[in-house]
Amino acid sequence: MRRWAHRTHLAGLLLFAMPACREAGRTPPSGDLVVTDDAGRRVALAAPARRVVSLLPSFTELLFAIGAGDRLVGRTTWCDYPPEALRVPSVGDGMPPNVEAVAARHPDLVVLYRSGPNVTAAAQLERLGIKTVLFDLNLLEQVGPAARRLGVLTGRVASADSLAHTSDSLLAALPQPPTPGPRSLVFIVWDNPPIVIGAGSYLDRLAALAGARNVFHDIRSPSAQVSIETIAARDPDFVAVLSDSAVPPRYAGRPEWRVVRAVHARRFLFLPGQLFGRPGPRVAEAVRELRRRLEQP
Amino acid sequence: MKYVLLAVAAAVTLGAAVILGPADVPLRDIMSSPIVWQLRLPRAVLAFLVGGALGVSGVALQALVRNPLADPFLLGLSGGAGLGAVAAIALDLPGPWALPLAAFVGAVGAMALVYRLGLMGGAELDPRILLLGGVAVGAFAAAITTAIVSLAQATELRNAFLWLWGGFSGASWTTVLVILVYAPLPLGVLAAAARPLDLLALGEEPAQYLGADVRRLKRLVYLAASLLTAAAVAVAGVIGFVGLIVPHLCRLVWGRLHRALFPTAFLAGGILLAAADTLARTVVAPRELPVGIVTALLGVPVFAFLLRRWTVS
Repeated sequence: MRRWAHRTHLAGLLLFAMPACREAGRTPPSGDLVVTDDAGRRVALAAPARRVVSLLPSFTELLFAIGAGDRLVGRTTWCDYPPEALRVPSVGDGMPPNVEAVAARHPDLVVLYRSGPNVTAAAQLERLGIKTVLFDLNLLEQVGPAARRLGVLTGRVASADSLAHTSDSLLAALPQPPTPGPRSLVFIVWDNPPIVIGAGSYLDRLAALAGARNVFHDIRSPSAQVSIETIAARDPDFVAVLSDSAVPPRYAGRPEWRVVRAVHARRFLFLPGQLFGRPGPRVAEAVRELRRRLEQP
Repeated sequence: MKYVLLAVAAAVTLGAAVILGPADVPLRDIMSSPIVWQLRLPRAVLAFLVGGALGVSGVALQALVRNPLADPFLLGLSGGAGLGAVAAIALDLPGPWALPLAAFVGAVGAMALVYRLGLMGGAELDPRILLLGGVAVGAFAAAITTAIVSLAQATELRNAFLWLWGGFSGASWTTVLVILVYAPLPLGVLAAAARPLDLLALGEEPAQYLGADVRRLKRLVYLAASLLTAAAVAVAGVIGFVGLIVPHLCRLVWGRLHRALFPTAFLAGGILLAAADTLARTVVAPRELPVGIVTALLGVPVFAFLLRRWTVS
């Protein structure tokens, strides 16, 4: 009786020990590398991916940042960072993905941003026997989890963890709710109709990290159409525009826009799209850069 | 009496448009606030003028093609304007006026093409060919627009569609002035055609016998109504529905004589669009709705109600 009990106890131990084995990265027969993606799908690879196609610039950047850049066999036309990424063949603009062009690269993993057309494309690729993984990447909070899971799938767990840790600790430093600095800004994405960035975008968080207040933090969606009147009434100190050049946007000269004090005074922050246009591994750099520009006289 | 009510409604709408807004401007500061003077007032006036222009244009085009479904944008103008706007962004044309000018050129180009198609059967503008040609030219322009958007690299291009869906964010005294200088000519041409358009309602042949120069009338009305719409597109994008329902509303209330229809359609179109824009700015503040959504939400129920009364009586 006692022996029997002892045996079950042992079996229990073994049962508990098995997942621990997996986590430690030993090699059970198959399905060693398992993650759950943001579409709720279980993605299992027998071995680290060797031929990866990335269909979002942020994923391309992340893969290079965790040291898996040499696995990339396909990217989008928008993937322009780091410079080495440009040597990877492009499979088009990825909006929506050209499934044939992606398949022609013979990838063993395709990384996609989770959007309607991409979910469809992922299903098509899976039917061709190509593994896919879908990630959300709208917020800074999603950079760490995406990096960690990419690390698992490419066998770069350690560097992915350290990258994710950097990104997470940056956010942890942010008080909840964010206590904004004395300077305020508005992100103007488009002028007619005026589209601004709200709290649902990583740019809002980026501004808070840099010590500035997004005057449209009360809008919960990533972006929204507002009237010039509202922008004028909220009177931001700066107008932030995603732009690679320091040429004031064309609306800056229009009379209706000059009612906005920051436009009238030409207090524009020109944020290069490569660094600010997407959430990615260079968050800290983006925050430093934004803070530097905010502090310029 | 009905005219007085309409005029009062117009004044009330414009007043409300100036007093109401997402920004808090105390009543006593209304005369001095730059938000009111530089943003709200020109925006309200522009919405009113564009609504009026679309209403009048709709009356004229429905009379011309003798089709109750005619809308100022049905004849290819929206497609042409869209192509112009997207081309301006794709070519990165400089200057604050590049987009509206390009949209205007696109709309006029589409109009010229449809006009040419309409004359294909001979010297007479054929209303049926105008309608078909308008739909075809519009579809063709939309196809080229989509091709540019999907092939070009500029992410900005997709935003061109936002502009095209219409709105008065770009309103300023300059745009108001542009319309004030531009609109009287086509409006005058249409006003002068009021009586012959009444005759045209009887059919082209009877109108001819009753002394209307039908051939010239059709050309003038088509060009004037289209040029009016093209200007509206240039300053406000494509705002559907106003030019379709305002003429019907006015016909239900004021009958079929164009002498009454033109001024009432101008006022009713102005009221509808100024009211719709005020709602668009305020109901979801600090956000804003595209004005075309509001014109449809406001217009359809009124339209359905009147249609019911009309068919019952």
